Amino acid sequence: MITTAPGPVASGEQGDDPAPSTLPGLLLAHVRARPAAVALRKKNLGRWREYSWEEYGTRSARTGLGLLELGVQAGDRVAIHSENRPSWLFADLGIQGIGAVTVGIYPTSPATEVEYLLSHSGSVVLFAEDEEQLDKALSVRGRLADLRTIVVIDPRGVKQLDDPMIMTLAELEGLGERRQLEDYAERVAALDPSSMAIIVYTSGTTGPPKGAMLSHANLLSAGSSLRQAFGTRPDDEVLSYLPLCHVAERLGSTVNALAAGYVVNFGEGGESFPNDLYEVQPTVFLGVPRVWEKMMASIQIRMADASRLKRLTYRFSLALGRGLARRRMAGRLGLRGRIGAAVGSVLVFRPLRDKLGLGRVRVAISGAAPVAPQVLEFLWALGVPVREGYGQTEGSALATFTPLHDVRIGKVGTAEPGVELRIAPDGEILVRSPGVFLGYFRDPEATAQAIDDQGWLSTGDVGELDDAGFLTITDRKKDIIITSGGKNISPSEIENRLKVSPYVREAVIVGDGRKYLTALVGIEADTVGDWATRRNLSFTTYRDLSAKPEVTELIGVWVEEVNRDLAQVETVKRFTLLPKELGHEEGELTATQKVKRAAIAREFSDLIEAMYR
Amino acid sequence: MDGVSDLLEFREVSLRFGGVQALSHVSFTVANDELLAVIGPNGAGKTSIFNCLNGVYRPQQGSIRLEGTELIGRRPAAIAALGVARTFQNLALFTNLDVVDNLMLGRHHLMRTGFVSGALWWGRAKSEEVSHRRRCEEIIDLLELQPYRHARVGTLPYGIKKRIELARALCMDPKLLLLDEPVAGMNLEETEDTARYILEVRERLGISVILVEHDMRMVMDIADRVVVLDFGLVIATGAPAEVQSDPAVIAAYLGTPAEAVAGTGEHRAAAGGGAKAAAAASWWADR
Repeated sequence: MITTAPGPVASGEQGDDPAPSTLPGLLLAHVRARPAAVALRKKNLGRWREYSWEEYGTRSARTGLGLLELGVQAGDRVAIHSENRPSWLFADLGIQGIGAVTVGIYPTSPATEVEYLLSHSGSVVLFAEDEEQLDKALSVRGRLADLRTIVVIDPRGVKQLDDPMIMTLAELEGLGERRQLEDYAERVAALDPSSMAIIVYTSGTTGPPKGAMLSHANLLSAGSSLRQAFGTRPDDEVLSYLPLCHVAERLGSTVNALAAGYVVNFGEGGESFPNDLYEVQPTVFLGVPRVWEKMMASIQIRMADASRLKRLTYRFSLALGRGLARRRMAGRLGLRGRIGAAVGSVLVFRPLRDKLGLGRVRVAISGAAPVAPQVLEFLWALGVPVREGYGQTEGSALATFTPLHDVRIGKVGTAEPGVELRIAPDGEILVRSPGVFLGYFRDPEATAQAIDDQGWLSTGDVGELDDAGFLTITDRKKDIIITSGGKNISPSEIENRLKVSPYVREAVIVGDGRKYLTALVGIEADTVGDWATRRNLSFTTYRDLSAKPEVTELIGVWVEEVNRDLAQVETVKRFTLLPKELGHEEGELTATQKVKRAAIAREFSDLIEAMYR
Repeated sequence: MDGVSDLLEFREVSLRFGGVQALSHVSFTVANDELLAVIGPNGAGKTSIFNCLNGVYRPQQGSIRLEGTELIGRRPAAIAALGVARTFQNLALFTNLDVVDNLMLGRHHLMRTGFVSGALWWGRAKSEEVSHRRRCEEIIDLLELQPYRHARVGTLPYGIKKRIELARALCMDPKLLLLDEPVAGMNLEETEDTARYILEVRERLGISVILVEHDMRMVMDIADRVVVLDFGLVIATGAPAEVQSDPAVIAAYLGTPAEAVAGTGEHRAAAGGGAKAAAAASWWADR
């Protein structure tokens, strides 16, 4: 197919410039070089199904060609509203390959958000995963003038298939068969690397989402930078589990995957995530703080249940591990350290890592939000070398990474290859790199605020850069709290300390313009529920559990403990437990589970005011 | 009721235990793809209907036909093989087996291989197990049980166990599914989830469902038609809204003097109505 008969343009391009300059170009290069090798795996009805590079390429091409048949032109926007699955990638690379632009929509987005994203991006075609996502689109399609076709990936249970606007992915790929696969390869070769490839809508903890336009060249520069920074290679394995429309998972599942040519696995997702991780045992793993916090909590809870001997061994090994972690972070483990590590590994750490699904992890990254130092130390003690990364969508997530042998807790590392860092006079971190985006779609004003005339990107974060080039993030510029006493306080640092407890899921610090700080705390339903059951404390719902005085006391003891390590002005004077779990659909969290402070302040204003009475 | 296109026909069924009239001339039909709810206070005879349907009880009078085949007189296993599956008011799962094994048991009546080839996992036994396992996986997918596949059922929360029981019933590939109080003991969230699963099951698999349930809000939300029983007698049949406003139903549940409901007086007296009526009143108010 594509491999056996490369078109004249494709072969000519190969001769002139062997390194492809777009993601679809990288895909076709893998198809040519090793068509039969495994590119993707998906767990379907309990079994892992493999997809070869050839299948990956062919299906992407057919999808792209099908879109051409539908009249999609270069530059048109095409949206994907689906959970992570191979078809997501087929659609993404098909769209980019014909010069159109992919717009990802979070699977959890409610219909109103879907409407906003589709209408703002002016998408002409929408890939809707299933009945659920189709229903969202159909409820708002009357107000979407640009939308012409909805392609349903999984048509089970869909009753509207005779609607002229709706077709299945299989039908679209069938349309694509009217054209030669070479047609796709030629278009890929003719792509302008500086043109727009994808729009990533940033979650935006305030205001409506903004569409960051990233070019093919932006994505490629991120890919080569990551490959250098982590040494990723074709025998690596990743689990695709964060939303693909977020730039972090895009990097892991397509950008770095196509740069390095490794295998991307799609599990069953949702609550099966721990099982998926256990079965895949990835070698490269990107975790958000929430994932690391949950892993730590799950081990702590499991150990509380273990026999005395196991608990003793665990405590001994953890103390050993913490000592080793410090030496490992500094890059000098030494012979004694190695022996100690081997003992700890045999006793406790290897089985624990295997259980978590991190048994084979070579590269572990924490990103998307700051993680508490205690969590990082714990993971290093287990022998999981988690490195923090810092970046933003607008810079293709390129900025800094912790070097493997010089980990300084509390700092997010040094600039990645090709990245320049600078601190503005007001403390804001500025970044310049080949990953800096083209601007916000249909928003020149916001674009002008984000990038200056010399290409420096304003990150919106406040931080410090030390002499060794290590960056420290203080907080989001707009989140900094100024108390009525005039003290500047970084809320996220205190929040992260609170979240170290396995019983705390969310913490929101309040105190801007107030005399003292207070906190809204969301409990972790599983662990607090478990704790309550052990004490024969009966409860029904989350609300009921969080209203128990015993639970308030449990959290109160922890808040006191955290306060002991904080400066006087930073201490949390009062706190209230949230009566409900925060959610994306309710507008309380962004799709990446970050708290929307403004929304929380509005929704729980009564609770907040009560703490200042 | 024409009975031609109906999946199930219950005609004039009467069941007595000594002097207690559990069911009295009960008639109703279930159409293909229909979700029929049977409601009524405790002891009204709801579970008796199920027990007659799947052959546990043998009614003294009447006929129960599934696609024209008479069920009365058949043994439970034979009726299950005809395509009637049920879940129980109290859980009836094998707590020491994992979820997959519990579901595979639901397919036992469809397996054809003998003891020896089954034990050796050889020839047809192997291909048969693979195909049955595939069906179980489809049901796991439908009811989102993936995270629990290999968990021992005894260790799982109550709401999940109820869902597993539903899954096992579906693994029997039934034409008619009997659900006995699927949301009993569940909190609001679990109840809403269960309602969603029941609707999803019916839509995807196209099977008929008879639902016995105390949770009125759920019944009114998801049922196509409702049969109201009171002391073994059908006092109303119709769409949820009709039944809700039916004076006979209101009278029965709010404990208005018996004469308000013509013709039910003697049955009411037979089972000692006072306490029942009080329970029914609070039950109706739960809405």
